[in-house]
Amino acid sequence: MNHVLQVTHLKKHYGDLLAVDDVSFEVARGEVFGILGPNGAGKTTTLEMIETLRPLDAGEVVLDGLDVRNEPRKVKQRIGVQLQSSSFFDKLTLTELLLLFGEMYGRHSDPLALLDEVELRDKAKSYVAQLSGGQKQRFSIAAALVNDPVILFLDEPTTGLDPQARRHLWGVIKRIRTEGKTIVLTTHYMEEAEELCDRVAIMDRGKIIANGPPQELIQQLLGRGFKKARVERLANLEDVFLNLTGHSLRDE
Amino acid sequence: MRLKLKLILSSLKMFMRQREAILWSLVLPLFMVFLFSFVKFDGVGHVSLGLVNHSQDTTLVSMLRQIQMLKISSGAEGEELARLQKGERALVLVIPASFQARGNDALTLYLNAEKVQEAQAGKMIVQRALDEMIFQQNHLPRHALHVESVNSRNLSYIDFLLPGILAMSIMQGGVFGVAFSFVILKKRGILRRLLVTPMPTSDFIVAQVLSRLLILMLQVLIMVGAGILFFDLHFVGSLFNMVVVGLLGGVVFLSIGFALSGVSKSEDQVAPLANLITLPMMMLSGVFFSRTNLPGFAHVITDFFPLTYLADGLRAIAIEGAALPDLYPQLLGLAAWAMVTLFIAVKAFRWE
Repeated sequence: MNHVLQVTHLKKHYGDLLAVDDVSFEVARGEVFGILGPNGAGKTTTLEMIETLRPLDAGEVVLDGLDVRNEPRKVKQRIGVQLQSSSFFDKLTLTELLLLFGEMYGRHSDPLALLDEVELRDKAKSYVAQLSGGQKQRFSIAAALVNDPVILFLDEPTTGLDPQARRHLWGVIKRIRTEGKTIVLTTHYMEEAEELCDRVAIMDRGKIIANGPPQELIQQLLGRGFKKARVERLANLEDVFLNLTGHSLRDE
Repeated sequence: MRLKLKLILSSLKMFMRQREAILWSLVLPLFMVFLFSFVKFDGVGHVSLGLVNHSQDTTLVSMLRQIQMLKISSGAEGEELARLQKGERALVLVIPASFQARGNDALTLYLNAEKVQEAQAGKMIVQRALDEMIFQQNHLPRHALHVESVNSRNLSYIDFLLPGILAMSIMQGGVFGVAFSFVILKKRGILRRLLVTPMPTSDFIVAQVLSRLLILMLQVLIMVGAGILFFDLHFVGSLFNMVVVGLLGGVVFLSIGFALSGVSKSEDQVAPLANLITLPMMMLSGVFFSRTNLPGFAHVITDFFPLTYLADGLRAIAIEGAALPDLYPQLLGLAAWAMVTLFIAVKAFRWE
């Protein structure tokens, strides 16, 4: 089976609002797929329907051969999810949390290996409340990996992070990709999509308006005779900031 | 099963690491008992009597001075009466200049109308002293009263209070503990995060309920234990019965907590609701004071409060040694409340 996720004609209404309007896409095994769009475009709602958190109004989602509508529990066994605002119990250490989440999948997880994956081994005995924003996001990725999922869903993983923490998280996501995991992420940062994704779907007002590899979409745009009003600089202000503060040396 | 056990252990661990939770459910109730243990509600300690003696005869005065219960201060008439008006004396006795032990003079006794009990007790003492003086002066024969003291189980206020406070803290732990922690779990998206795991939602709820009931048992054991060790609690009942009644009450108040967390979106919403339910019960269910002084209609209404059933039940076990069959009204009352509140909780509780 080539596609690990197939979404066809997916729809979701909230009253009169069509939050997700006939969305179809598929994701290949081992691919990083990005859903790109402004706030309120329907990215999160789409993900939540795939993750079994919201009922589908219409359409179909097949995940690793399972129909999400019919077999939600089996689907949950095979996915790892980082919610947009997920937080965890207070007063349990990272190690204890990972063990507990492992139990929820009926398996004995290896907390230290998971923490290594997201570079948080030295925080093994900390509480989530003691972590920085970037560390929290990395931890919630570790928690999403406890069941060795077929697909990892990341909903705006870098929103609200400073540039250094964002780069750090990108590094973590890239490494998870090299291990062969399929990743579906949403973002509203173009740069992030270009950096991480093999393919992106651009979503606006509930519809997918473009779908393809980032470079291909850029080429298509240029092919339509597009010219930037101003020529792109070789470096931008973010590069200056990162260069001056030395992001790779400092742990946030 | 294994998952439920892990969930229970985790939530007990979280409870033990949460200083506020321990403070509210274990330390504060004990502290309240400690504070109230200084309050003496029983009996009149002494009677303050102002004495104004205009005569030369001191027979009566010296007799009165031998009575331990009287706290006598003597002075000029005007001054003593002023002190009576200020409330510093319960009574003032004025002995006229013509007074003699063998005479029939009129003595005047001023009573403080605000200190009824103390003044009445004082009046009887003074009257009794006058009679005694006449007996002595006339060498009259009299009946002897043999007094023997018998050790009775003198129940103190603590014996009344401690089971009440225990009932109250079971209520607070159930209503506030559950309502607040679930509203927070919901608001911070922790429940949502659990929903994307394959864990059956019922496992989580069951584990939460069981871990809280375990904490409740701990509360019962600690309160009774500390009561016996430090507060001279006359505990004559069975701990097992205490736990049974406590658990039944716990189910009622946990259900109320779950129901409240279902209808509230934030801590700000849940706090007034929880207070609205618990405050009247705290005041009127006989936690601190007996309900016998409540007016008739209030008595009837408060008869049916779940906290009344719980407090009365725990108290009857603790100080009367009541067995469970003796407590059928309380057990029935709590069971009925448990069914009603569980039903509401199931209807009102929301994961999101």
